[in-house]
Amino acid sequence: MIHMDNVSKAYSTGNPAVNDINLHIEKGEFVFIIGPSGAGKTTLFKLLLKELEPTSGTITVAGQELNSMKRRQIPKFRRNIGVVFQDFRLLKDRNLYENIAFAQRVVETSSRKIRRDVPQALSSVGLAERYKALPNELSGGEQQRIAIARALVNDPQLIMADEPTGNLDAQNAWEIMKLLEEINEKGTTVLVVTHNREIVDAMKKRVITLEDGKIISDEKEGGYSHED
Amino acid sequence: MKISSFVYSLRQGMKNILRNRFYSLASVATMIVCIFMFGVFSAIVINVNHVVREVEQGVAVVVYFDEGISDQQITAIGDFIRGREEVADATYVSPEEAWAQFAPVYFGDEDPELAKELMEGFAEDNPLINSANYQIHLKDVSKQDQLVKAISGLEGVRRVDSNDSVADVLTHFNSLLGYLSVGVVILLFAVAVFLISNTVAVGIAVRKEEIGIMKLIGATDLFIRAPFIFEGVILGLVGSGIPLLILALIYGKLDDLLRTKFGMLSGVVTLVSSGEIFRYLVPISLLIGVGIGFLGSMITIRKHLKV
Ligand SMILES: Nc1ncnc2c1ncn2[C@@H]1O[C@H](COP(=O)(O)OP(=O)(O)OP(=O)(O)O)[C@@H](O)[C@H]1O
Ligand SMILES: [Mg+2]
Repeated sequence: MIHMDNVSKAYSTGNPAVNDINLHIEKGEFVFIIGPSGAGKTTLFKLLLKELEPTSGTITVAGQELNSMKRRQIPKFRRNIGVVFQDFRLLKDRNLYENIAFAQRVVETSSRKIRRDVPQALSSVGLAERYKALPNELSGGEQQRIAIARALVNDPQLIMADEPTGNLDAQNAWEIMKLLEEINEKGTTVLVVTHNREIVDAMKKRVITLEDGKIISDEKEGGYSHED
Repeated sequence: MKISSFVYSLRQGMKNILRNRFYSLASVATMIVCIFMFGVFSAIVINVNHVVREVEQGVAVVVYFDEGISDQQITAIGDFIRGREEVADATYVSPEEAWAQFAPVYFGDEDPELAKELMEGFAEDNPLINSANYQIHLKDVSKQDQLVKAISGLEGVRRVDSNDSVADVLTHFNSLLGYLSVGVVILLFAVAVFLISNTVAVGIAVRKEEIGIMKLIGATDLFIRAPFIFEGVILGLVGSGIPLLILALIYGKLDDLLRTKFGMLSGVVTLVSSGEIFRYLVPISLLIGVGIGFLGSMITIRKHLKV
């Protein structure tokens, strides 16, 4: 699903944020990416989304070689990936139904398919009845579930979540991680950046640790504890 | 782009306009002034051109002869006139014909019977016995002066009447007005483009987050840009449609007034018909409106919407 070979990314200032990374993630994996602030986790995500160009190295995502990809091919490529953020990024002026429908509308899905898929996406995150609510009327955990529903509605092969539980309490954080795990069990590859030590340790997933732009460990059933 | 996407983008564009009322209004108001002035200038230029053409078609120069001139001399003068290249044609008018032309004007044509009677009363004693003349049509009114000079110098010519280059003055006025209007209108158009591009920029700023999400979800450039292009184009269309309506109303009223209320002027001062003016003005103005809207939004999109 993801192949990075000798990938580096240097911003104009300072040391490279991503430094000679080799990373391979297969279809159907669930992978945590951890590491201290400034380690380069978000930069890595941006490289995978082709929001940023690597300074060197080659990247392949969902069978598509990003280096040679033309600008106008990027939108189609990104439809393979669902993205989730720490701050949810819902449209505050639109209700839940419209927030999810939005994701389909902007990739020009037919109205009929939208009418069929949105209720399904809403119930898959347990918020079918609240479809008329505005994002502000929801708890953080509920907002993040809507964001996940939005990421899922276009049937991506890969979900990438950058600190999805960063703004949530322990209870809600667990629920979100469980939801991502369920999604993964249905076959979607899931990549989660997190600082949540407890959850990472408990879930026994593959854990990749970044520091100063380098992968310092990559363990099959890893956790923070292994760092010590 | 699918029809449903087209409709969606159109609605988002309208939303931008309504959400951003102050700027939208400023843009539309400027456009209205712009197109209105463009329309007024165009209407004046077209009408003046029309008058010039009419003057050119009417008798521009009339040549009268010395008393007691011989027919031969008259013929010679005629040949001279017809030989000049600026002359379209020259017609000899005998004293009898001159009288026949003039009398109805003099006695009025309200009552043709009376006029006829009165005319016949004068038939034996033509008041215009010395009014034999050549009526000359010119190919180009601006050459009138040189023709008048040449004919005045001829033997046997008593007087040369010309429309004292009314047409000349008008032509001058028209080109002056033309330059002026082009200048003013270009300036206003620049302001309109600037305002629309600012309006669209505000719309983009408001939707910054939404645009970011759209990019990550995989919306195409066209899809992301379309609402803002629609926004500009709608502003341009409204800004050119409204002044066209106003112009049509004013022009129609003015035309009516000149035809009916000012009886003595009727037939002398008439306007080119609304239909003729607006047949050009409507498509050109709408095109300009759409063009300005499109240009304004494109400038901003290129600057602020690097996808
Ligand atoms: N746009 C940018 N321009 C310059 N430097 C940047 C930019 N974005 C990030 N960096 C730098 O690159 C390094 C990696 O940043 P990145 O955001 O990838 O870290 P991170 O692992 O996501 O951190 P956090 O856990 O705090 O989110 C940091 O040193 C950061 O200062
Ligand atoms: Mg980060």
